[in-house]
Amino acid sequence: MDELAFGASAPLTVGVELELQLVRPHDFDLARDADELLRRLGKRKLPGAVKPEITESMVELNSSVHASAATLVDELETVRDAVLQDARVLNVRIAGGGSHPFHDWADRRIYPTERFMHVVERYGYLAKQFTVFGQHIHIGCAGGDDAVFLTHVLTRYVPHFIALSAASPFYQGEDTSFQSSRLTAVSAFPLAGHIPFVRDWAEFLEYFMRMKGFGIVASMKDFYWDIRPKPEYGTIEIRVCDTPLTVRRAALLAAYAQALAAWHLEERPLEPSRTTYLVNSHNRFEACRYGLRGTMVDPYASRKTAIGEDILATMAKIAPHAARLGCGALVHELAAGVRAGDSDAAWLRARHAARGSLADVVREACTRWEKTG
Amino acid sequence: MATEYLPRLPLAFSQAALFGALVIVGLAAGEALRRYASLPRITGYVLAGAALGPHALGLISDDMLFDLRPLVDLSVGLIVFELGFRLDFKWLRANRWLLVTAIGEALFSFLGIFAVMVAFDFRPVLAAMAAAVGTATSPGTVLLVAHDLRAQGQITERLLLFTAVNSAFAYVLLTLLLPFLHFEHQASWQQAFFHPLYLLWGSLVAGWLACILMLRLAAWLGKSEERQFILMVGMVVVTVGIAHALKLSVSLALLTLGMLARNLDRGYAVLPVHFGHGSQLFFVILFVLVGASLSFSAFSAAAAAPVAALILVRFLGKGVALLGFGPLSGIRPGGAGLLALGLLPLSGSAVVMVRDTTLLYPAFGRELAAVVLSAVVILELIGPLATQFALRRAREAHPDG
Repeated sequence: MDELAFGASAPLTVGVELELQLVRPHDFDLARDADELLRRLGKRKLPGAVKPEITESMVELNSSVHASAATLVDELETVRDAVLQDARVLNVRIAGGGSHPFHDWADRRIYPTERFMHVVERYGYLAKQFTVFGQHIHIGCAGGDDAVFLTHVLTRYVPHFIALSAASPFYQGEDTSFQSSRLTAVSAFPLAGHIPFVRDWAEFLEYFMRMKGFGIVASMKDFYWDIRPKPEYGTIEIRVCDTPLTVRRAALLAAYAQALAAWHLEERPLEPSRTTYLVNSHNRFEACRYGLRGTMVDPYASRKTAIGEDILATMAKIAPHAARLGCGALVHELAAGVRAGDSDAAWLRARHAARGSLADVVREACTRWEKTG
Repeated sequence: MATEYLPRLPLAFSQAALFGALVIVGLAAGEALRRYASLPRITGYVLAGAALGPHALGLISDDMLFDLRPLVDLSVGLIVFELGFRLDFKWLRANRWLLVTAIGEALFSFLGIFAVMVAFDFRPVLAAMAAAVGTATSPGTVLLVAHDLRAQGQITERLLLFTAVNSAFAYVLLTLLLPFLHFEHQASWQQAFFHPLYLLWGSLVAGWLACILMLRLAAWLGKSEERQFILMVGMVVVTVGIAHALKLSVSLALLTLGMLARNLDRGYAVLPVHFGHGSQLFFVILFVLVGASLSFSAFSAAAAAPVAALILVRFLGKGVALLGFGPLSGIRPGGAGLLALGLLPLSGSAVVMVRDTTLLYPAFGRELAAVVLSAVVILELIGPLATQFALRRAREAHPDG
């Protein structure tokens, strides 16, 4: 029960987790040097942390907690550079992006921790197929009730986050025609999806205890939801983003999430609505498949709108909050990209068209990750 | 009754049929050792070759071995090319201690073997040549074992890198020792001076020209794995042939080709090399023939002591350098020892290397062969086991590999 006591965290603080690809330079397939890299990084003093992930071809970079997403940029660049420095010694390159374009999932090896071994035992091949790379954004909440509220209202914006971060057009050597193919790997898990329509934290606890009583879950970690409360940190966690191709974009996405949460917590423009969950699968698919050019159903206005336009309209509404939090410029930069129709998925496809091989795409993604900006 | 349609006895088999049979016997022996004894396949190929070879059953005759020489060269060429392709200059630049470790490892084992051979009263030229040959790890063995185990990771990468460096070291050193050999045989100074120059630069230039041509063609052919695979095999075959015709070093030319193809390819025209099944076929052929040419008669009580000493100092030389410099280059604790073990295989083609460089003085070649041959026999059998053990122990072999 203790793990479900909602931890204290300053409201609207922000932090991110980025799952990164470890790439070997001789053929640009995934490497498996997570262990060696983490051993080296363990000797450094870094803000935040770098942790293992399900397979040995990935590491997860955790930022510290920030009052404003604006200060995330510097920190993420510092940590990125430290990781790159140690990776160079091992001849490993690092890339962002939601999926490795051509690795063979059967070649992956599970990072041998007790939890990951359990995941493999339980989920079989799904565990190795789960070698996809996401960004999780944490937003601090004053209490469990706020967390439940925010989880419900932010679900309306799930297609925004998918479209803004989409960076996994290639999977298993093929162009998937999706902008983000990564979420398909997540959806395969039986506990993927979204939180049930509970009203407050007490009701959520009741639900959780029932699920635990059935023996379906043991902890919050067993839910692979798009947005989930994280009582341990006192946050909610948005989990639908692909890891972008640059740390800067990761900070831009965090800024958008932070300002969006501020608007909803402070002005309460929307109340949780069941309709959100009626249209959610459709909206989510549109965003994965077509990105910014997809259409979504606005559950509150009950009409269809283009995802890109809905994002721009939302950004205009949250601008005062973004400015007050000191991340107005970041949200602005993100908006400019939406207007121009930029996306990481489009960039990856363009590189493939220009270069002609997926190994080239990975190489250029590595180079892009290494650069500031 | 006319029976002309029936074959006459005894049956006359073509060399091609015998050769095909060799491949199948080698393949089966490798698979059997792998399956029932958990030994490396390569040991099975070598043992099959040795059993069928002129020194045992005699199904493979000396003549046949001679006829199949081009095939051995081609196999060695492909292997050395692939190895060269793994030699990443960028890594060596980013991690200077890695270069120090690689050179230290080669240098220490060279000096160690040289000292021991001199201590056993071998002439310095002979000792130095034996030491140069002894420095190199067998590229084929290391690549094949790593491939068989589907090994992946830092120890595997470094094993291949060090093998590439110590092979290059050995080839260059053997060439540079030629003047001493010429002087020993009272050759003219012109010959002593120009022969190594011709051999060294000729091989490098041949590899370089082949590389330029290959990069151009690869860029023109585009990013198709099939087309590029054919291009690479074709390029290797041609370069082997040219190196032969020009009396250059096949190994050095092909290592140069692989190395430069990786490091000069600024436009990234060449796709990553994956020889796959094709190279497996060459591996089987090569090691069956290596097994067949192993001469167990080289063993004698008198040779036992120097051979044991050679193997020991070779291992120690590599071990000391790896333990000393390895950790500075980022090898994890315990990794240095495993690498020293992994580098144990001594190249069977070392003998070929010796024969090629000393073609002018066959008597010297035989003398040298007598020194290193026993070591080759022993390490050809123990080496793959050591490499397999090292990669498994390093947790880099695939669980199903």
